[in-house]
Amino acid sequence: MKRCLKARSFLRNLFLSRSVDADLDQEVQAHLELLTEEHIRGGMPAHEAQRAARIELGGIEQVKEQVREVRIGDWLGSAFCDWRYGVRQLRKNLGATAVMVFTLALAIGATTTIFSVVYGVLLRPLPYTDANQIMSVFEVSSEGHCARLADPNFDDFRGQNHSFQAIAKYHDNIASVSGASQPTRTTVAGVSPDFLKVFGVQPILGRDFSASDAKKGAGPTVLVSYGYWKQYLGSPDLSQAHLKIDGAVYSVIGVLPARFHFPPDVELWLPADLGGENSSRTSHNYNAVGRLREGVTVEQANQDISAIARRIHDTSSEQGDYLLKDGIVIPLQESITGKARQALLVLLGAVGFLLLVACANVANLLLAQASVRERELAIRSALGAGRRRLIRQFLTEAFLLSLTGGGLGVLGALGGVEGLVALAPGNLPRLDSVSISIPVLVFAFLLSTAVAVGLGAFTAARATSGDPRKGLVEGGRGQAGAQGSQRVGRVLVAAQIAITLVLVVGAGLLGRSLMKVLEVNPGFRVDKVVTMDVSLPWVEDPRAKAGQGIFFANLMDRLKQIPGVRKVGAASGLPMVEGGLPDGMFLLMTQNEVPKTMDGFGALFEQKERIGNADFCVATDGYFQVLGIPLIRGRIFDERDGPSALHVAVISESLARDRWPNQDAIGHTIEFGNMDGDLRLLTIVGIVGDTHEYGLDAPPRPTVYVNLFQRPRSAITVTMLNDADTGLVTSAARGILQDLNPEIPAKFGTFSQVYSASLGSRRFNVILVGFFGITALLLATAGVFGVMAYSVSRRTREIGVRVALGADRGDVLRMILGQGLRTIFIGVAIGIAGSLALTRAVESLLFGVTPTDPLTFGGVTLLLVGAALLACFIPARRATKVDPMVALRHE
Amino acid sequence: MHPEPTSLLQGTLDLLILKSLIAGEMHGLGISRRIQQITGGTFVVKPGSLFPALHGMEEEGWISSLWGESENNRRAKYYRLTKAGRKQLEVETERWGRITWAIAQALEAS
Repeated sequence: MKRCLKARSFLRNLFLSRSVDADLDQEVQAHLELLTEEHIRGGMPAHEAQRAARIELGGIEQVKEQVREVRIGDWLGSAFCDWRYGVRQLRKNLGATAVMVFTLALAIGATTTIFSVVYGVLLRPLPYTDANQIMSVFEVSSEGHCARLADPNFDDFRGQNHSFQAIAKYHDNIASVSGASQPTRTTVAGVSPDFLKVFGVQPILGRDFSASDAKKGAGPTVLVSYGYWKQYLGSPDLSQAHLKIDGAVYSVIGVLPARFHFPPDVELWLPADLGGENSSRTSHNYNAVGRLREGVTVEQANQDISAIARRIHDTSSEQGDYLLKDGIVIPLQESITGKARQALLVLLGAVGFLLLVACANVANLLLAQASVRERELAIRSALGAGRRRLIRQFLTEAFLLSLTGGGLGVLGALGGVEGLVALAPGNLPRLDSVSISIPVLVFAFLLSTAVAVGLGAFTAARATSGDPRKGLVEGGRGQAGAQGSQRVGRVLVAAQIAITLVLVVGAGLLGRSLMKVLEVNPGFRVDKVVTMDVSLPWVEDPRAKAGQGIFFANLMDRLKQIPGVRKVGAASGLPMVEGGLPDGMFLLMTQNEVPKTMDGFGALFEQKERIGNADFCVATDGYFQVLGIPLIRGRIFDERDGPSALHVAVISESLARDRWPNQDAIGHTIEFGNMDGDLRLLTIVGIVGDTHEYGLDAPPRPTVYVNLFQRPRSAITVTMLNDADTGLVTSAARGILQDLNPEIPAKFGTFSQVYSASLGSRRFNVILVGFFGITALLLATAGVFGVMAYSVSRRTREIGVRVALGADRGDVLRMILGQGLRTIFIGVAIGIAGSLALTRAVESLLFGVTPTDPLTFGGVTLLLVGAALLACFIPARRATKVDPMVALRHE
Repeated sequence: MHPEPTSLLQGTLDLLILKSLIAGEMHGLGISRRIQQITGGTFVVKPGSLFPALHGMEEEGWISSLWGESENNRRAKYYRLTKAGRKQLEVETERWGRITWAIAQALEAS
């Protein structure tokens, strides 16, 4: 009953507000008349009675407003009113509104875009059940780095830990796969049997590995990805499905769910170690993942694994630098995104700065409007609007602005994310999970709301702080509060300049780093090189291996005949390709010193003066010519170096300098058999230039090159130096390989792709931070211009008076510029201090410049001061053109 | 700008309005004068408090209103108690009695 009554009042107040209001008006009027009548009856003259009645009543409008405020549903009605009024206000200043909405859309859109990447890469949980329980397990090397696990160490971790319900090792490599509809070069992972249990994943078809599948000598089995099954197998009946992987035949036992991709890019999973484990504790071949037991923390697991690792370290017979020092447990998500984390957080910080600069601009525009509206506010409060009501009006307008801006920003972010993903470097993990998802939308909404509350509260506080009566008195002259709001405006501009300076300094440092990196001579040619990855089935038998060498020799001979191809070479791995070359310890020794037994080698590795460390690269003589790696002394491989001749090696300049200081490395012999199992000594015959294999920003690695025709291997990258069209060369080469053996797959590319991918993440950061910096610079310049122009227009009368009293143009110009300069310099000073404090955060992203690089700081400061001065100069010039006659009649 | 009446005073005003309407229907000024009269001039209710209270109580359903003629043939809006209003008066009276008793107790304690 009562609720019904209230609902009726609510609806009436909302929809019949006119008649409700008219009723109220009549009631108050009647009250006034009754009061007057009472006074007249009391003996007052008519006009005095009326006055007394009015005084007793208080303001008619105030009384009515107070009644309205207690009505049910008042908030809704007045919110609607505020909203309508706000829309009208914003439409009245369409130009300013458009600028504000656009500025907010840009800033909120950019922030949302970056957040979507941060969310997708860093925050979004991995797509597995209870993904936060999945951990990566590493050894810690003697140098303190995370390292892969050696087989016996993994076995100890697995057998002795109390923290994991399942733990598995895995490694991946590219293999030649045939037997399905088409031969492919596919990434395959060798995994231990609990691998899928760690991820909580079951095959959607067939079965998981059992313990017997992983036993030494078991029949080879393989699990395939959903994508691979769809594309190459297709039939739900797996009983007849077999794949030939690197020469061995595997039975397909199961198909994994479509969403399962771990390690990334892997299509096939095989049991590891079918040929038996490697018994060395210093051969680091496997990554490891584990799922924590219920209730075990990361910290507890860490202590557990660490204790096992240190026990191994203390008791192992294989002491030395290659033995683990410790063990570590890291959440899988963190270990996947580790390297990207810092760069992404820097980007998020940068875009946050841009957002602040944009908000300051909008705040300044709102402030300028609010001071024009002081008269309106004064009238509204005279008509009974309470302070709360006025503040709500400002909040409503701010909400309208920033939600519109935010909405447009999200639309922009839809495109932005697509562009960003396309621009992002290939090594950014989890890019496929970046999208405008629900959490990202929630973020954008909360961000817009926060911006609205900030801007609304700011303008409301500014606009309603004064005495409304002053607005009525001074408002007519358009001078009210001008002093105060201009001071606030200048503070805002100084803050904008400071933030912009930090941002542009950051962009400058990253940009200078990129330039420094590009100045580095990579040590090899980058353009005009076509690459072709070929892998034959892996074989162990030396005679089969030699056969593969002959196959490659034939292949390269045929490739040389392609028109436009000038040189052909091959190597086991190209510089800058992810994964890199294997590295290891070699021994300096002569033929007489070769020990009779394997144990003898162990003793030699103890002798520090005998050992050296280098990358191991299998190459052909053509490889050096194709990549333009210069011969410094001695010779490169040639026809003399056949399989049965003396095995030779070519070493890089830095290795020669470091390992054989003050003597000639040529002629020395080394033992590097632990890399390919061939124990024949290598005689150094030549020294070639250094190459930056791990990227321009990493120092060159010492490298030992051996001859592919003496040390054959099954997987190589063929390089072709060509003048012709890449497409033509590629299709010709594909034809030749088809012709030689149709079962062998190949992957083509160009070396410049590899090279530019190696600069990808650096370029990505520079482009984004640069874009944010330039945008902030434009916004800040616009902010300076706005505040100065506003100030000049506000001071037209004053300037007129000054000119009338004899000030010349120079005086006026100096006065206005001086005022602007003070603001600019305060902003710049704060900005420089802030940059000095903040650029440390990007230190690890820099190359060749210090975080306090004076050139960058100086250049950016000059740029910013120049742009800001220019923005001051235009209004200042306008001030000098003030005609005192016009100015004094102004308004 | 307008000091919020404390909840005690708000309750008091409602109670006084209800009490004054027990005598029969009355317009705003009449209520105001009646309160002045029955409280011996202690409470002078300003229109700025009276009208919001009246409208609030009407929406609560304690009083109802209708337009009528004043004693001098002027149109005025008259308020009268509803059934719910009488009940509310009882509740408020009882509550007020408790409060005065409690405060008196408090003041007597030394």
